[in-house]
Amino acid sequence: MPQSHEPNLNPDLKKTYDAIVVGSGAAGGMAAHVLTSHGLDVLLLEAGKKLPIERELKSMQWPYDHPRRGDMPRDDHALTLNEYTIRPRPYAQGLRYKHVYSYVQGWSGADYSKNIVVDEKDNPYTGEPYAWVRARTLGGKTAIWGRLALRLSDVDFKAAERDGFGEVWPISYKDIEPYYDRVDDYLGISGLKEGLPYLPDSRFQRPNKLTISEMMFRDKLKPMGRLITPYRAGVTTDGLKHNKYRSKCFGRGACSRRAGGCDIHAAFDSPTGLIYPAMDTGHLTLRTNATVSEVTVDSKTGKASGVSFIDSETGKTYQAKAKTVVLGASTLESARLLLLSKSRQYPNGLANSSGHVGHNFCEHIMGPGVTGIAKDRIGKPKTLDDGRPGGFYLPRFRNLDSKQAGFIRGYGFEGGAGSSMFPHHAYQTPGFGKDFKQTVREKQGAFMSMGAFGEVLPRYENYVDIDPDIKDRWGVPALRFHIKFGDNELNMAKDMADQAREMFEQAGIEVLNVDREVLTPGWSIHELGTSRMGTDPKKSVLNEFQQSHDVKNLFIVDGSSHVSASCQNPTWTIMALAWRSCDHLADQLKKGEL
Amino acid sequence: MDIGRRDLIKITAGAAVAMAAGSAATANRFFTPEEFAAVNELTEMIIPADEKSPGAKAAMVAGFIDSYLADSFEEVERTDFREGLRPYVNATNLERLGLLTKAAQSEAKPTTADQKFFRLIKEYTIRGYYTSKIGIHQDLDYKGNTYQTGEYAGYLPGPDLK
Repeated sequence: MPQSHEPNLNPDLKKTYDAIVVGSGAAGGMAAHVLTSHGLDVLLLEAGKKLPIERELKSMQWPYDHPRRGDMPRDDHALTLNEYTIRPRPYAQGLRYKHVYSYVQGWSGADYSKNIVVDEKDNPYTGEPYAWVRARTLGGKTAIWGRLALRLSDVDFKAAERDGFGEVWPISYKDIEPYYDRVDDYLGISGLKEGLPYLPDSRFQRPNKLTISEMMFRDKLKPMGRLITPYRAGVTTDGLKHNKYRSKCFGRGACSRRAGGCDIHAAFDSPTGLIYPAMDTGHLTLRTNATVSEVTVDSKTGKASGVSFIDSETGKTYQAKAKTVVLGASTLESARLLLLSKSRQYPNGLANSSGHVGHNFCEHIMGPGVTGIAKDRIGKPKTLDDGRPGGFYLPRFRNLDSKQAGFIRGYGFEGGAGSSMFPHHAYQTPGFGKDFKQTVREKQGAFMSMGAFGEVLPRYENYVDIDPDIKDRWGVPALRFHIKFGDNELNMAKDMADQAREMFEQAGIEVLNVDREVLTPGWSIHELGTSRMGTDPKKSVLNEFQQSHDVKNLFIVDGSSHVSASCQNPTWTIMALAWRSCDHLADQLKKGEL
Repeated sequence: MDIGRRDLIKITAGAAVAMAAGSAATANRFFTPEEFAAVNELTEMIIPADEKSPGAKAAMVAGFIDSYLADSFEEVERTDFREGLRPYVNATNLERLGLLTKAAQSEAKPTTADQKFFRLIKEYTIRGYYTSKIGIHQDLDYKGNTYQTGEYAGYLPGPDLK
């Protein structure tokens, strides 16, 4: 008999759980899945609510069926790019709006995501400009993620050996490969095998097809030694026999026109992919509305004893006990939690004898990109082009075989071509009247765009700490940002824009616009690296199993552990690493070594 | 095809009813009746009816702009639009077309107030028209947002393209 998947707001807090998992996104969900599969008794704590997500997303709603065509209500406000750059932090301070939300993609602050992303008024932060998108709800950011599911390779894990910057990872591709395979098989991934050593293939289900102009682009890029491949999507295109909560993809194409999200769960999300099946084992207790404010420590053993959490509705504080504590609260929230968990034994925060917690922050720089018109598609009969979870991915081509002047590491592009529901090129089509209208119509199926994601180097000077004054709605001190792009990133961004133009021109695509502007740090929502792994406890926070060097029964399984960002999107790597570490945790716990 | 035509009749008939209502002073939330009438004409000049599909009037773009401005939280958005609209309100359609043509001259880099207003109303019109039923289905023939069964759209590279 399947259990109810409703959260338990009154869990047994007298008992000692085998593990407490903090956060229910990709990392926390995976931890809950793997640990319960080993028969461990797990308490999963999520700061947000469980939303009726299918109703929330309204995936198939037409814009004209929404009273404000998808916009948020009058008293609500989504922070824009401009505001992230110019407004003093905390961003919401002084704004008249009832609610102010972290930016999330979609038409100028979509009504569909406002209950998923946090209200900035409740969740302030300070310091340098930073676009911090947080989703406090069951499933975290997997409720609206972009679905691009890529592997890292030894080009990434051993990047420091190649160019001398930073540290090598304590693992290599062969260590993580079996876990990538497991994630692929358990959650489903769509893509086309290409055999690239720097972007390893996954165990793909049926690929998403390319449009005619994408096929043309692929062909024209070949002489440049470059490639576009169908979007590698964390989406099950063939279905998953072992998971009854997720449908296969029906190519409805609603995935990217709003905030993201998939109401039939063909796109991976943590609740249906990981948490509900874990609940069905009978070993998982889910407590939502539980904002963890501290990891508690046993003063005799120095080990983690559990956590303190605040009920986000009532404000009441609770203690929960466990043999092990697993953090999956996100790169920045996990760092905040460690820095807040100060004690006589750990005066600099928990797991922080190295002083590296909060440091070596890295992510992806984005903004530069190109839009254009594939001329031979102008005026052709309309076809269904966007009925798929994504368009194409153009993998990294810089600093592989040869050395690029001006910057180390690389970048890739995400893009797509063909008709979409809204004709974005209309804004760039000059004039008005009959000619204007006809041009928009004829060029609709010929539109093509792509934007780059580039590796931001992990530098010790890029860090977060705790603000001495500002607290959130629950009285928990806020995070303060000390994060700026350096020359490597800015030189790379110039090259992104130049190469975007060059590739379109080479392919005979009429360039409409080249975007050279770099977006505010954080915009990629790929934050990583604040508790990096390593073999040297003086220079790293975690070992290769994401286990604290200082506190043996504490694991941090989210993006915090990444040693460098690479330029590939991190979600699949977060889950493969979490699986590997939780296997290790279960094994060690059974052997009595934790 | 038949269904499409029936829909077209329904939509245009509905639009006529709505337009009749829209001309009553009480229906608008922000515009005065005179302003609404001017916006209605201007949006139709920007995206007119043609042989393929009805234009901005039938798609009720002026109503969209009215409710958008009524709902916008910043007073400056309303005052900017109202100020920019002023020269068009008591003008004939021929005069409006002349003003619009002049204001559209440097739309890539608008500097004067009338050039900025042209960008503004053009962007609102694009947004309102292409998120409407007429814009999405009749003008652009959008095929997506539907459950696909069987073969999916698109192509895969063959061995020769590898």
